Amino acid sequence: MEDLHTDGNHVAGMLGEFLAADATTTRRRCQSCGAEHPLAAHRAYRGAGVVLRCPGCGDVAIRIAECGDELVLEWRGAYRTRRV
Amino acid sequence: MSARPALRWRTATVRGVTAESARTRTLMLDVPDWHGHRAGQHVDIRLTAEGGYQAQRSYSIASAPEHDALELTVELVDDGEVSPYLVDELRSGDQFELRGPIGGHFSWSVEDRGPLLLLAGGSGIVPLMSMLRHRAARAADVPARVLVSVRGPEERIYGAELDALEPRAGLRVEWTYTRSTPPGWGGWARRVDAEMLAQLGPGPDANPLAFVCGPTSFVEHVANLLVDGGHDPEAIHAERFGPTGG
Repeated sequence: MEDLHTDGNHVAGMLGEFLAADATTTRRRCQSCGAEHPLAAHRAYRGAGVVLRCPGCGDVAIRIAECGDELVLEWRGAYRTRRV
Repeated sequence: MSARPALRWRTATVRGVTAESARTRTLMLDVPDWHGHRAGQHVDIRLTAEGGYQAQRSYSIASAPEHDALELTVELVDDGEVSPYLVDELRSGDQFELRGPIGGHFSWSVEDRGPLLLLAGGSGIVPLMSMLRHRAARAADVPARVLVSVRGPEERIYGAELDALEPRAGLRVEWTYTRSTPPGWGGWARRVDAEMLAQLGPGPDANPLAFVCGPTSFVEHVANLLVDGGHDPEAIHAERFGPTGG
């Protein structure tokens, strides 16, 4: 059932409503495993909202959900995030 | 990438629809204030039902940035919420909401050079076609190797255009059929494997920029083959459609 996820490319439209930078090339260094990956390479799991997980260790990186007219973002577990 | 205004929903108007295969349509769109895109980028489409229910999906841009209309190629997904409408119902003059262009990670322009290694599973060819059309529009001779994996001939899209592009300097397009082959086919008829990638080239020593697009299982499989084959993981750009797409 590995097919159940997509990747950060598919969340970039929603993240683009928060960020002036391109979300897919934005790089996140994971606080769990220490590896740095572009958000595009993160695994995306879609349910009521979308959960992005680190492709290295699977730790939760971002939760994002549309609740009515509100877009809600929870960004967690990163040493740093940088735009390149 | 430099800073840019946040994404906004705009209204796209259908200029025309063409059939690429029995299950695939290309939508030619007019989008006001469209400021262009990079080959490989995608858009989000949002449909709103009469009761207010909304469904949203991502679709890759098929056209070259140099083309005057924005073109998306959409594959019908059985039981999908959005693609049956786009493939079967949409007519010239219809409108829907669109947000984009999105994504600089899975994108390429001739200034990025190459060589290019483009690997598609099924309709994963769509964003790679934008790259090939861009390469052709700029008359670039960046070496490019393309491999498209389809289940059968009925899944083949852009076939005639790819055949016409192919003689251009430095471009080679190969197909593999995983379930049924065209009559008289003498080429590859199996899943992508390490031997196929080695024959296709370019190998890791040439430091190619790799773009892999298709269903998640295809992308995971091919990206792992590339990494195991010695390709730099940072030079492998992947875009996963998931099990369906919708």
